[in-house]
Amino acid sequence: MRNLIAFLQRFRIFLVFALLQILAISWYVSYLNFPRSQYLTTTNDISIQVLEWEHDLTKHFNLSKNNTQLQWENIYWRKRQPKFMYQISRGKYKIEDTVFEQQYTYIPAEVINSSVTRRNNYFTINVGKLQGIKKGMGVFCHEGVVGVIHYASDHYSLVKTVLTKDINIDVSIQMKKSDLPGLLKWDGRNPRYGMITGINNDLRIKKWSKVVTRGGSGIFPKGLPVGKVSYTEPIEGQALWKVEILFSADYRSLQRVYIIKNLHLEEQEALEAQIPADEE
Amino acid sequence: MNVVYKHILRFIVLTFLQALIFNQLNIGFGIHLMIQPLFIMLLPFELGVIPIMGLAFLMGLIIDIFSNTYGLNASALVLMAYLRPVVFKFYGPREGYDPLKEPTAHDMGTRWFSTVFGILLALHTFWYFLIEIFEFSRFFFILQKTILSGGLSFLLALLIQSFLLNRNQKK
Repeated sequence: MRNLIAFLQRFRIFLVFALLQILAISWYVSYLNFPRSQYLTTTNDISIQVLEWEHDLTKHFNLSKNNTQLQWENIYWRKRQPKFMYQISRGKYKIEDTVFEQQYTYIPAEVINSSVTRRNNYFTINVGKLQGIKKGMGVFCHEGVVGVIHYASDHYSLVKTVLTKDINIDVSIQMKKSDLPGLLKWDGRNPRYGMITGINNDLRIKKWSKVVTRGGSGIFPKGLPVGKVSYTEPIEGQALWKVEILFSADYRSLQRVYIIKNLHLEEQEALEAQIPADEE
Repeated sequence: MNVVYKHILRFIVLTFLQALIFNQLNIGFGIHLMIQPLFIMLLPFELGVIPIMGLAFLMGLIIDIFSNTYGLNASALVLMAYLRPVVFKFYGPREGYDPLKEPTAHDMGTRWFSTVFGILLALHTFWYFLIEIFEFSRFFFILQKTILSGGLSFLLALLIQSFLLNRNQKK
């Protein structure tokens, strides 16, 4: 016993050091996958208040650029509104649509805090559980995919952006004949460029072919823009392409985003839960 | 000004400078400016290692909360606090440090300050990016980020320190 106390006294500095390191690193590792509470994130009450004050000051910096974007988006949808179109056949048909049903609804939000220089970049947005935000919902902006909800508190939530280590959004490269499915990744270098893994190199990929979401997991609708292929290279020893893409959205000056709510997600999950588990 | 108040003021000012301004800056090339090591460096000589580690952990955690890094800054700062006495001892005068002096460039000389602070900052930054990226196959990427971010942070720290010092001398 005395030996133990003497040991503790001699190494107490190192023990405190080891304890603090283990605490910090275990928090870091566990929160990357499963944030358990809001206290270590920007969504806690005090930090969100400070960041809101800061946002009130800095939100005007990119205002004119964002307004121009919104205007273009308005024009895009306005052009597609039936009531503004020239009607060729008048009064002949009355459409009661039973063919199409709405599958996705969108919740608008504003980015309060963001970062693009780290290995894992998160955005804090000003909607939360009270607006119906849940972990795992998709987030996009006018120009492209932004990420997935990582943690939601009552009034705010944290978006795990495509600029993180293990984002793994399923995307496909649009080709003339068929689409090539793959997984979106980010290597931590440049916030303008991402990577796609899992593309077989039996087909040639044209430069600047479009990359869109595949919509398989029910998080994103099919065909949301992600980016364009900017560079391909065969991986040595594997039958795969190394594909680099240029993101269509500039995440450095992003202010307005939309959260996707899939109205059919519960149905899809209930159905997929019926798949029997593999028995070894 | 009372010594304790001075350090509390430094703690608050440096934490919020880091959390609200330098975290938001996007210079490019993956550069991430960090000035929180300056606070650990400027703590008095006679303060024990364990209180320094406690302060480092607290400061790191506050910055983590503001930047969604969940303990990464705390880990790097605690490492720096742990190694601080070791580096101080190695570069210290033979008869020990004068307790009336402070570990600043003004009191101890620019050469001593830049050597000691440079070593500590390099260790801190290297550890930070090592844990953040955590892919040993990309060692040169980690090294590149360390050199770029560490170099710029070092210049920034010298600049900020000269500001703080000038203000202290006037009072």
